[in-house]
Amino acid sequence: MKINVIGAGLGGLLSAASLAIEGHEIEVFERLPITGGRFTNIEYHGFSLSTGALHMIPHGSTGPLGNLLKKIGADVEIVPCEPMAMIRIPANGSNNYKSGFKDISFNQFGSQFSMWNRLKLAILLVTTRRWPPKNISFENWIRKYLNEDSAHKTANSFCGWALSLTNRDVPAEEAFEIFENLYRYGGTGIPMGGCKGVTDALVEIIRSNGGKIHTNTEVSRIIVENNTARGVIADGNKHYSDVVISNIGHPFTRDLYDSYTINNAYEEKIDNVKSSAGIKTCLAADEPLIGHNGILLTPYCRRVNGINEVTNTDPNLAPPGKHLVMAHQSVRQEKIDKLEEEIEIGLQDLKEVFPNKKYEVILTQSYYDGWPVNRASSGSDIGNTTPINSLYVVGDGAKGKGGIEVEGVALGVMNTLDIIKQQHR
Amino acid sequence: MRVNEKCVGCGQCTAFCKQDAIVVKGNAYITDKCTNCGICAFYCPLKAIEAEK
Ligand SMILES: Cc1cc2nc3c(=O)[nH]c(=O)nc-3n(C[C@H](O)[C@H](O)[C@H](O)COP(=O)(O)OP(=O)(O)OC[C@H]3O[C@@H](n4cnc5c(N)ncnc54)[C@H](O)[C@@H]3O)c2cc1C
Ligand code: SF4
Ligand code: SF4
Repeated sequence: MKINVIGAGLGGLLSAASLAIEGHEIEVFERLPITGGRFTNIEYHGFSLSTGALHMIPHGSTGPLGNLLKKIGADVEIVPCEPMAMIRIPANGSNNYKSGFKDISFNQFGSQFSMWNRLKLAILLVTTRRWPPKNISFENWIRKYLNEDSAHKTANSFCGWALSLTNRDVPAEEAFEIFENLYRYGGTGIPMGGCKGVTDALVEIIRSNGGKIHTNTEVSRIIVENNTARGVIADGNKHYSDVVISNIGHPFTRDLYDSYTINNAYEEKIDNVKSSAGIKTCLAADEPLIGHNGILLTPYCRRVNGINEVTNTDPNLAPPGKHLVMAHQSVRQEKIDKLEEEIEIGLQDLKEVFPNKKYEVILTQSYYDGWPVNRASSGSDIGNTTPINSLYVVGDGAKGKGGIEVEGVALGVMNTLDIIKQQHR
Repeated sequence: MRVNEKCVGCGQCTAFCKQDAIVVKGNAYITDKCTNCGICAFYCPLKAIEAEK
């Protein structure tokens, strides 16, 4: 089969590589001069920053993405984070880090609580894994069962780090699905070479299997005849194909074709897709600020949710002897017009998290709307099919259920590959 | 060069500017180090950098 892919982000590249191996004729069209979308490196002042992601794969080498990369023979080494995460809590029951702090392991999370709540947490974790709560936000779930301030704060920093949402915006069901997946698949990992290590390996597979990738080539239209995708128009030329896979999310995909029959249910779903916003602050340091390769969750910051130091895994992501530290903070929709203030509060937070440490701010990067942290935030995904036959959507605007970030991208790609196999024998 | 309202402040452009002429904080700001070479515009995911009219 001939298959055209719109966009060379992680979703597009994963689909293209998998299909190229199966012997299909693949063409990928990418608007930018570089491949990888929001999952590749940008070199800045000698540091390998990224176009989006924090160089982390939520479930490491044993999750959906790790397994798919292995299956298609991608040459990527994913190093497990040990510890997976630490939580920084203030000393002497204070509400901030100003008078000191200690780091406790994510697994000892419950040890901060009173005896009674510790018992409850243990029971709840077991029962909710079996009977997930429905129709309640994670925030309200915690308020109902475990009204501890530290639980609220920790849940919030975890949701901010993993989903770039506050716990108010995450359904409890989704939160428990994530915890369940941490048990099922295992914890976080860092790819050697950062994000680019992954996406370059995919580019290599596509090329070595005869696939073509056109950079600097924007798709301006999807050719639709009889409600079926027949190809794309890129740089004014028509490229016909049997299947079109779009990596740009449902709303942008919908803008690329005319449809004579309007599917109201689909249009309504598109209108309800919510993207998530965030700020990433990149720091350079001579001495390690964190000292391990896991996530440092910072629930008592005003804005910063968590921080990592990827050079503890791959020193080549910074100039010799330097460390690259990246902090993430989620941004609520109503704060988007006050980004500079939000960045400033985040920078103040970092001063409290790393008192007496020397570091430099290399770059602050913000993401929302058309270039967000996630095109469809958790709970607002709408699957991989469209009302147009032979037109599929992959990427973080069409993730698989329960899969966060790039794990969700991989689950969505696998689902799409299954559908294509069934529909286009 | 001019930054339009589509900019989100992702910082991608600044990494490709050889003159180090772009400051990013919630939005991109092009400083007078800019030589109008036009390279940054290709790398912006949102088409937020245009040539000045
Ligand atoms: C600050 C931040 C931190 C993050 N941290 C992590 C993390 O640590 N771990 C993790 O797992 N995830 C993380 N994520 C999320 C992760 O980066 C994304 O989910 C993932 O990269 C999305 O990939 P994608 O394939 O869906 O889309 P994209 O990467 O957006 O790819 C889409 C591609 O399509 C191209 N395109 C658009 N329109 C057209 C057109 N008309 N024609 C041709 N090409 C077009 C774009 O240029 C782009 O290259 C983070 C994201 C951000 C922003
Ligand atoms: S690349 Fe584009 S969106 Fe990103 S900061 Fe530069 S001008 Fe703004
Ligand atoms: S036009 Fe050239 S010099 Fe000016 S900001 Fe863009 S890349 Fe830098």
